[in-house]
Parts: sequence; structure tokens; C-alpha cells
Amino acid sequence: MDWQGQKSAEMLMQVLLVASAVAAFLTGYAMADFQLMLLVYAGGVVLTALVTVPNWPFFNRHPLKWLDTPEADRHPRPQISSTTASTGGKKKTGKNK
Amino acid sequence: MHSFGHRANAVATFAVTILAAMCFAASFSDSFNSPTPTASVKILNINWFQKEANANDEVSMTLNISADLSSLFTWNTKQVFVFVAAEYETPQNALNQVSLWDGIIPSKEHAKFLIHTTNKYRFIDQGSNLKGKDFNLTMHWHIMPKTGKMFADKIVMTGYRLPEQYR
Repeated sequence: MDWQGQKSAEMLMQVLLVASAVAAFLTGYAMADFQLMLLVYAGGVVLTALVTVPNWPFFNRHPLKWLDTPEADRHPRPQISSTTASTGGKKKTGKNK
Repeated sequence: MHSFGHRANAVATFAVTILAAMCFAASFSDSFNSPTPTASVKILNINWFQKEANANDEVSMTLNISADLSSLFTWNTKQVFVFVAAEYETPQNALNQVSLWDGIIPSKEHAKFLIHTTNKYRFIDQGSNLKGKDFNLTMHWHIMPKTGKMFADKIVMTGYRLPEQYR
């Protein structure tokens, strides 16, 4: 799953769960049936899990484009040079007291 | 959200969190119910009334208990526990409560009832204060919800009086 896919999976999960909870509460309250509320919500949770948990192709439509290796070699990561590090790290002892 | 396990865990935890919120909402919806229960108890007969060997008064009576508690039931009600208590004042105690009968109402269909019974539990005073005693019969109930807050209330019925003499 790519980055965009992860983001949309999380969004989808939250929206679906909240929506099924609201639908379940309203049907349960309207029908005066507590068990019906639980069943509707359980259905919503199963549906949400089926939609968002497996790695569907839908979540892989924005693959990361990595740089080619020759291109990456031409722009090496900047290194901290050892000379500047050693001089900068030197401590001044208290001579000018 | 990068792996199957993480997504499954996220769905499960968020689902349970929302379930808790739904239970809270269901309990909250109970507070919009304003019940109008009715109850009446008739004492059909004082079967006997005597002083026990240890000088405590005991009375046996036949009761006719009728009540309509169906308005106590909401969609979030599991059952209602109901009991009838005799309540009276003595020089030692400002309030004496003796449970005479109780019952569990499992559903709204059983909430309207008429019961003809002798007192299920013994009506014994701690002492001999019952002769000619004025007392109340109080119907108490405790509403046990499926989730959330329990409610309790009562109906006090006044104007009952025990006989002046043992019989």
C-alpha cells in the first residue's frame, strides 16, 4: 500500500465506522431494539474491515517514483567533513582568567 | 497503516471505542424517558398477628398487588426489579423497612400485572411495635439497563393500619 493509499485507508476506516455507528444507533433507537443496533454495527465493522484492511489495488495507484541509481550517485548525500568537525569540536580551556 | 496487521488493529480499536460511545448514547437516551407508573396494593386479609416467643411481633397478610410499570421500559432496559416494603416509624427508628414481596420483570409485556399473594417474606418487627401501627406500603423498583446508568424510584401508598389486637 502506498502513502496515498494509507491515508485514504485511514480516512475511509474512520468515515465508515462512524457512519455505521450513527446508522446503527438510529435504527436501534427507531425500532426500540438494542440487539438490532449491535447487529447493524457489527455489519458495519465487518464491511469496514473488508474494505480497508486488505491491500486492495485501489490503494496502490500512487506508487513512489524512486530516483534511478546513476542519478542518485551523481548527487551524493552531503557528508560532514572530518576537518571542520575536529576544529569546531576543540574546547578552549580557561587561559584568560 | 502500512501493514495488514496495523490496519486490522486500527479497525478493531476504533470500532470498540465507537461501541463505547454508542453505549453511552444509549444510556443517555434513557434520560428522555419520563415514566408514568401506577401501583396499588390492597390488604385483603390479616391472616394472623401474634407475638413470637422472643417478643417480636409478626404479622401475616394476604395482598393484592397490581401495577403497571410498562412505561419504565425503554429500548435500553434489560429488566426491572420491583419490591413492596412495609415502612413505619418506631420510637427507636425513624424508618423501618420490611420487604414483603419482590419480583423481577423481564420484559415490557410482563410489566402490567396483578398478583394475589401472602407476604413472600416474613413481616417481623424488631420488638412489639406493630399493634395498631399505621404503616405505608411502598413499591420500590430498580431499572437495570442493558448499558449505562441504573435508575431507582418508588411509589408510596399510605393509610394502612394493623389491628389493635393479636389474632
